[in-house]
Amino acid sequence: MKQQRSKSNFLLPLIVILGFLLVWYLVCFFKMVPAYQLPSPGDAARSIKEEILAGRLANDIIASLWRVTIGFVLSAGLGIPFGLWLGQHARSRQALTPILNFFRFLSPLAWIPFAILWFHIGDKPAIFLIFMAAFFPMVISIMTAVASIPSIYFRVARDYNYKGTELLTKVTFPAVLPQIITAMRVSYGIAWVVIVAAEMVGCQDGLGYGIWDARNGLRLDTAISYMVVIGLLGLAMDRLLSQLTKLPNIRWGYDR
Amino acid sequence: MKLTLGKFIIGALVFLAVIGLLRFHPWSDKGTVVDKKDRVHEGPKNDARQSLTVGYLPVTCHLTCPVTDFSSKTTKTNTNFNSQRFSDFPTVVNALEAKQVQATFMIAPLAMKMREDGVPVKICYLGHRDGSEIIIAKNNKAKSLRDMKGKTIALPSLYCNQNLVIHKLMEDQGMQPNDINFVILPPPDMPTSLAAGAIDGYFVGEPHCAKAEMNGTGRVLYLARDIWPNFISCVLVVHEDLIKERPDVVRDLVRGIAQSGQWAEEHRAEAAKLAAPYFRQDRKVLDYVLTSTPHRVSYAQLTPTDADFQKIQDMAIKMGILKKHIPMSELLDRDFIPENIVAAPIPLDKIP
Repeated sequence: MKQQRSKSNFLLPLIVILGFLLVWYLVCFFKMVPAYQLPSPGDAARSIKEEILAGRLANDIIASLWRVTIGFVLSAGLGIPFGLWLGQHARSRQALTPILNFFRFLSPLAWIPFAILWFHIGDKPAIFLIFMAAFFPMVISIMTAVASIPSIYFRVARDYNYKGTELLTKVTFPAVLPQIITAMRVSYGIAWVVIVAAEMVGCQDGLGYGIWDARNGLRLDTAISYMVVIGLLGLAMDRLLSQLTKLPNIRWGYDR
Repeated sequence: MKLTLGKFIIGALVFLAVIGLLRFHPWSDKGTVVDKKDRVHEGPKNDARQSLTVGYLPVTCHLTCPVTDFSSKTTKTNTNFNSQRFSDFPTVVNALEAKQVQATFMIAPLAMKMREDGVPVKICYLGHRDGSEIIIAKNNKAKSLRDMKGKTIALPSLYCNQNLVIHKLMEDQGMQPNDINFVILPPPDMPTSLAAGAIDGYFVGEPHCAKAEMNGTGRVLYLARDIWPNFISCVLVVHEDLIKERPDVVRDLVRGIAQSGQWAEEHRAEAAKLAAPYFRQDRKVLDYVLTSTPHRVSYAQLTPTDADFQKIQDMAIKMGILKKHIPMSELLDRDFIPENIVAAPIPLDKIP
């Protein structure tokens, strides 16, 4: 029974993906749209092969993973503690929520000119843009999670005389861990989405740059092949992060 | 194996370390991966003692930039030039302001706008002559710009010479400035927008015009030279600090570009072959631009004259794109142009 279930878990998405590819192929095969508007799956596959053989794809993947990971680690490293702290201090939360929300709504595209002026060219401006996109949603969701912990937890904690660090590690942190994992997954998603915009900024490699470059080179087939790689890698990274939900001290948040 | 938080953190750190190592190759002796990756050809660099990065966009108006890069690596030069490809002009402006590149190719009125805004840059040389066309849909019957009244035409930027020239042509044909609806579009999107019917025509530098012709969706209404003989769209812009601090490098650069231009003029098919991997574009499109007719683009007579730029400035001020008259002596610097221009001795067998 269990094996059958895991088989269909694998099979159903596969059927959907193959169906999607088939529709794409047929649209191109019967020339429902002209070739310059939508390259065929075959063209995309050929250009993926070309990029792999030229060694560009591996280099671009590494560059993008590096920028996204650093941007994400920075925003998680600063955003999680900051969110926890804000969640526990009602006055600061009141004071800072509007400005945090303000920055949350600014598209990373708007920061591009400043990113170049302040951080010049290369990895730094891209990491800055990813950070700006991922940090604020992370802080806000963690802050909200902490603020909505039932007050009974803290009343009990007071009975046990938990204060400061102890309160944080024994009550607050475990209570919001499931939400932290979710916030991290959502932020990572944002960081990965922003890569195309972030690598517009005077980068010389990376998957997002690959798309811009393909566009400039009038090669839409290459652009599609890069889109496929970005989607697949994003999926893989999310699968990895979702493994966190299987941690024993977090599982309770998901076993309902 | 049971997953714990500790193991997860260790796993994340290992991942970070591996990616970091792959990214920066600390074991390789010097330079970043980025630099190496973009080097199409690694020549002997004979006795080059110094190097300079020069910015460009993958358009034929900037063709001499990759040719100079290649030439500096395959022939005897004092300076090694590394061409850095950008994908849009606003980024080039920011990079020049931040002095991340100190020499770059750029559309002429934008360079004048930068000068007006107080960024100390000078125009030291031209990138090309001609090299732009007004393209309309293949089935459009228009014979002159007058027939395009009420239609939509795309331009690459407000600060491009195409914008000035097309307004001059409208004036010459007795049209009003609002007879044509102008939109700003990124050049790579122009051929597809035209094919999809979103715009009725566009005026931009090559190879974005040739692309529509080769797709069978567009045709040339005007060559730039028909409207404005010896048309200029892009120029070599150099930061004044570089001129002051390393005049010998600027001299090498201008000489290199002049010689590359002469070489491209004499070896058009080879120039298309050389530039294709730098531009990462289809060689056929570049080949078409360079070899179908010599009237499309030219790389001779690249000395910027006062008359050329006075004309551009007057038009731009009249249209309200620029605000103040800048004396030509402040804008142009012709000191580095060599007297005798010979074609760069690029070994043809080394072109990849």
